[in-house]
Amino acid sequence: MVKFHWLHSKAEHGPLYQLWSVFRQQHAAVLGLILFCFFALTALLGPLITPYDPYLQNPDALLVPPSWDEQGQVRFLLGTDDLGRDVLSRLIKGASYTFGIAIITVLGAMILGLLLGVLAGMSKGFRASAFNHMLDLALTIPSLLLAIIIVAILGPGLINTIWAIMLALLPQFVHGIRNAIQQQLEQDYVIAYRLDGANQLQILRNVVLPNIWEQLTILFSMALSTAILDIAALGFLGLGAQSPAAEWGVMVADALDLIYLAPWSIALPGLLIFVAVLSVNLVSDGLRAAIRKRQES
Amino acid sequence: MIWQFLIRRLFLLLFVFFALTCFAFSLGHLFPGDPLTNFSGISQPSDELLPALVQQYQLEQGYLQQYFAFLSRILQGDWGLSLSSQQPIITELTQVFPATLELVAYALLISFVVGVPLGLIAAIKAQHWSGRFISGVAMVGYSVPIFWWALLMIMLFSITLGWLPTSGRISVLFEIPASTGFMLPDIMLSKQPYWQAAMIDALRHLLLPALVLATFPTTVMIRFTRDAMLGVWQQSYIKTARAKGLSRSQVLYRHGLRNAMMPVLRQLGLQFSTLVTLAMITELIFSWPGIGLWLLDSINQRNYPAIQGGLLVISTLVIMVNILMDILHTLLNPLARKQFNG
Repeated sequence: MVKFHWLHSKAEHGPLYQLWSVFRQQHAAVLGLILFCFFALTALLGPLITPYDPYLQNPDALLVPPSWDEQGQVRFLLGTDDLGRDVLSRLIKGASYTFGIAIITVLGAMILGLLLGVLAGMSKGFRASAFNHMLDLALTIPSLLLAIIIVAILGPGLINTIWAIMLALLPQFVHGIRNAIQQQLEQDYVIAYRLDGANQLQILRNVVLPNIWEQLTILFSMALSTAILDIAALGFLGLGAQSPAAEWGVMVADALDLIYLAPWSIALPGLLIFVAVLSVNLVSDGLRAAIRKRQES
Repeated sequence: MIWQFLIRRLFLLLFVFFALTCFAFSLGHLFPGDPLTNFSGISQPSDELLPALVQQYQLEQGYLQQYFAFLSRILQGDWGLSLSSQQPIITELTQVFPATLELVAYALLISFVVGVPLGLIAAIKAQHWSGRFISGVAMVGYSVPIFWWALLMIMLFSITLGWLPTSGRISVLFEIPASTGFMLPDIMLSKQPYWQAAMIDALRHLLLPALVLATFPTTVMIRFTRDAMLGVWQQSYIKTARAKGLSRSQVLYRHGLRNAMMPVLRQLGLQFSTLVTLAMITELIFSWPGIGLWLLDSINQRNYPAIQGGLLVISTLVIMVNILMDILHTLLNPLARKQFNG
C-alpha cells in the first residue's frame, strides 16, 4: 500500500526500522520472536530460576506425574523422572544446553564463515573455482552426518559435538556469504566506487559488508534451527552430551525405558525442542519475507 | 554442448570419489588405535599373519603407496573385517544397504504423492484459509525433531492403539530368503504358501517408519512447490496463456506445474542427503536393520573398519544422487543449459 506523506516519508527511517515495520505486520513471525526471546532469556538465566537443583535426586518422589494429574504434586510442577529429579528444573537447565550452546556454535561458525566467505568472494579465477568445487562437495554431506563422522573420530562428548556442528555448518555459511558478496560486487554502485579509486579493502568495508547483513541474519537463523536439531539428535543418539546432563535430546533418550510408565518424560523435552526450532523457523521465514518486501518497496 | 556438460560432471564425480577415498583412507590413521587393525579389522594378528598383512597394506611404505593399496582393495571388494562380528564388511553392507534404500524410496514416494498436490493447493489458494493451513502444517512438520516425532507415533499407534508393530522389517514367524535384499520383492519371489500374509505383515512393519521418515521431505516438497508455483504464476507466459483463452486448470498443468517442478527436482537432490541422515535416526528407533542402525552400532562399538566402509557407501550414494539430479535437471531444463553454456 502506498501512502502519501508530506513530512514523514518512510525512507527517512533507517533500514532497520523499515525492516521492523514490515516484520511486525506478520503475526506468526512476531510470535516466533517472542518465543525466541523467551528461550534466549531462559538459557541465559537458567541456573538462577530453577526451583530445584536439576541434578538433585529425591528418593521419596520417583516418577511423580505432572501436577495437573490426579497423583501429581504441586511442588513438582511438571513431575519428576525415574531418579526423582524435578523435570521442570531439568528442562530449564536444558535450555542453556540445547538452545544456548546452539547459539554459541552458530556464532562461531558465522565468524569463521565470514572470514572464509570474504576470501572466497573477493578472489577470482582458478582459486575461486577450486574452492567452489570443494564447497559443493562439502555441502552435499548433511550437517548431522558430518557431525556424526567428526564425533566418530574425536569420540563422543559435548565439546566435540560443538566443534563437529560448527565445522558441519561452516560450508553453508561460506557458500551463502560468498554468493551475497558476489551479488554485491556486480552492483553499479560498487563499480562506481571502484572507479573513484577504492581498493578491495575499502569496497569490502564500506559497501559490501554493510549491504549483506540481511543475508547474514537469514543464514544465522537457518543455521540455528539446524544446530538445535543436530545437538538434540546427537544427544539422543548418545554421541553428544552424556547422560546425566540435562540436554533435551539426552532427556528424551534417558526416558526411552519409561515410555509405558511415564510418557510425559518423553513428550515434554521433545515438545521444547520442537517449539524452540519452530520459533527460530518462524522468525527466519518472517525475516525473509520482510527483507524481500523492503527491497521491493 | 551437452556432452561437454556430461564430461565435466564425470570429472567432478571422479574428483569427488578421489576426495572421498582419501578421506576414508585418512580415517584409518585418524581413528585411535593401530592403523593395521583399523584397516583390516583383525585386532590381534598372529605372528605368521603380521608380516603378510603389513606387506598387503604397505604399512612400511609412505602414505602414497598405502593409499594406492587401499584404493585397489576397495575396488576389489576387500573392505576388511568387522571388529565385532569378524565378518567381511562388504557382506554386511550388502545385507543392510538395501533395507535403507527401500525405506528411503518409500518415504520419497509418499512425500512426492502427498507433497506436490498440497504445495499446489497452498500456492493457488495462498490467501484462502486452506492454503494458509497447509503452509502452517508444513512449517510445523519442518520443525519437528524426527526422533521425538517417531516416539510420539509409536506411543499413539503402537502402544495406545496397538495397531502397528514397533520394530523390524517383518515378523520373525516368516522366513523369507534374501535374494534381492528388498523385502517386498523378496516376498514375491519366495513363492511360499504364506506369502500374502507375509506381505501384509511386511507392509504393517513398513508403514510407521516410512510415514515418520516421509514427514520431513513432504514438508520440504510442499514449501518448494508452493514457492516455485508462486514464482511461476507471476511470469508473463502465464498471463499470455490466460490471455489466449486457456482455462485455469489448463494453464496450471501445461504451463505452471511443468516449470514449477524444475526447482523442486533440484531441491530433491539437495535434500536427499538430509533424508539419509534422518533415515539413520528412524532406523535406530524402529530397529530397522539398515545401514544407519549398523553404522550407529559401529560407532558405539568403536568398530573402525565398519565406520570407514559405512561412511564411504553413504557418502557415495548421496553424491551420486546429487550429480544424477543435477544432470537430470540440466537435461530437462533448457534454461539451466543456457546458463551453463553462457
